[in-house]
Amino acid sequence: MNAAGSSGDRIAGALFLLVGIGAIWHAWSLDVPFAADPVGPKVFPMVVGAILAIAGAAILLRPDRVEWERGDYGRVILVAVASLVYPLVLDPLGFVPATTLLCFACAKAFRGPTLGSAIASVALAGSFLLLIDILLGLPLPRGPLGI
Amino acid sequence: MEALSSLAFGFSVAFTPFNLALALAGAALGTAIGALPGIGPINAIVLLLPLCFSLQLPPESALILLAGIYYGSGYGGRISSILLNIPGDPGLVMTTLDGYPLAQQGRGAAALALSGIGSFVGGTLTVVLLTFLAVPIARLAVSFGPAEYVALMVLAFALLATMGQGRTAKTWAAICLGLLGAMIGVDGGSGVERFTFGSLELLGGIDFTTLTIGLFAVSEILVVAEGMRSGSVSNLGAGSHLKLRELVACFPAMLRATGIGFFLGVLPGTGAAVASALAYTAEKRVSDRDGTFGKGDMRGLAAPETADNAAQTASMVPMLALGIPGSGTTAVMLGALLMYSITPGPLLFTQRPEIAWGLIASMYIGNIMLLVLNLPLVGLFARLLLVPNWILFPGVLGLSFAGVYAATNSTFELLLATGIGIVAYAMRKIGIPLIPMLIAFVLARLLEDNIRRALSLSDGDVLVLVSSPVAILFWVLAALTFLVPMLAPRLGRRIRAMSDSEAS
Repeated sequence: MNAAGSSGDRIAGALFLLVGIGAIWHAWSLDVPFAADPVGPKVFPMVVGAILAIAGAAILLRPDRVEWERGDYGRVILVAVASLVYPLVLDPLGFVPATTLLCFACAKAFRGPTLGSAIASVALAGSFLLLIDILLGLPLPRGPLGI
Repeated sequence: MEALSSLAFGFSVAFTPFNLALALAGAALGTAIGALPGIGPINAIVLLLPLCFSLQLPPESALILLAGIYYGSGYGGRISSILLNIPGDPGLVMTTLDGYPLAQQGRGAAALALSGIGSFVGGTLTVVLLTFLAVPIARLAVSFGPAEYVALMVLAFALLATMGQGRTAKTWAAICLGLLGAMIGVDGGSGVERFTFGSLELLGGIDFTTLTIGLFAVSEILVVAEGMRSGSVSNLGAGSHLKLRELVACFPAMLRATGIGFFLGVLPGTGAAVASALAYTAEKRVSDRDGTFGKGDMRGLAAPETADNAAQTASMVPMLALGIPGSGTTAVMLGALLMYSITPGPLLFTQRPEIAWGLIASMYIGNIMLLVLNLPLVGLFARLLLVPNWILFPGVLGLSFAGVYAATNSTFELLLATGIGIVAYAMRKIGIPLIPMLIAFVLARLLEDNIRRALSLSDGDVLVLVSSPVAILFWVLAALTFLVPMLAPRLGRRIRAMSDSEAS
């Protein structure tokens, strides 16, 4: 399935325009008690914000018709949600359980068989702990289980 | 022959057992990761970057390791391009045109050997050129003041926007986003917080490893999850091995491609994708008398492979001599140097020769090591193609996050990486290029510092930016780069067609 449309470009252009104006406004409103140089920290973000706003306006006014393939957004959302939850559970659960859950969700998103995904997830999480924490000596968070 | 004695010094750095082992480990790891389908060189280097930092290697060793990963992943990427028809990065698209047909004809092994030799030729010849050219260029650049640097960086951005992939306005937007992203945190000159929105975690700015993992690793997984790419592995083939006659027939193509790759690689913003596309097109024009290109012609494989590697190596010239990266991977290496508080640029050759020359020497070693490693072991690496997606991508995601955590010790950075990844995914969907954003992020500090330094010297007079002949030259070139495609749309379309490559 292919969909052609310019709404993606219009949204992006409008967002860039807003971010550009926001950057100018933010830099304008900075309170600078002391600056070592005559320019100070305001000018550069304002110039960059202005260029971004111009580029945004150009995209908004003359959007490309982008053809994109419509894929399986359910899988994208599953991976994104798992990645957003992961940092929240990493400290309470510990590295290996949290990473196993992350890998399992991701494996299911890539249509892995349930049992195989479970085994692979545990193996991946365990081998990362072994490699990074134990072999390379970079501490990863350990949960109540000690792993 | 000052260059030769400096090079000898570089070899004395690179030939320590520790650094040799790092180069070998980097090359092997890079090849293995690059061979995984859909994981290109930039992903490979990004994936291993946090681990390199956390190990606290001395800077020259870290660069040697990163460079090893870089070449290795280029070699590995060829395996999935030729056997699976899945190019891991834009520079490898042209490789699939004649490489995959060769694999289908049962000559996968010969194709891989040829691409390895082509890369070796392109890489090695370019390193030789680099050895003799880097210092003269750096010496020219030593006289540059802040004003010239500002103009040079603007020229680099203009080249990126005009010659790179994607629409000009979108590339400028990406550059601005990169610059703004780099401003997050406390401003060094005044102690003022910018764009932190009251967040304590953002005071120190966005961590470089977090940014690269988010931009490339996370967004890549989301893209693949959406429309799963799959392919069937071609047989590596019991077909006949590469014959000397075939190899000799490819040498003229390799030499031409090295020239094209070198010149395009030195320019900031063009990089390997344009070089390999142009080399393929040029070779087709010169040699394709019987219409065999695209159906498994050896020369059609050798040309883009050689140009790709030549351009990748040549992109080290502006990175080392000027401190301005021309490609995504050199931007990562520059970011790595900045994390060691080393300012790359013309003075690197005199102040930290062990870094500059150690890296150059390690490129010679790396190229040879890869050839030695790959010709016999290619079958082993090719097996990595059989790893199913549902093990591969969870593994990449888990390793990315573990790496970010190891480098930053903060779960906030993991959230940030995911957030950046989701934004980057959306940007890729609508054709906003990510590499210019990364380059801008790396250059932002340097650009702003130089603007402020120039204007301090002149007491705020903006005209100082156009006060010297060299600066004026750069501004004029930048303006021309920006304006010519607008005034001459046909030329602009041709440049764009080149970079988008005729394959797509």
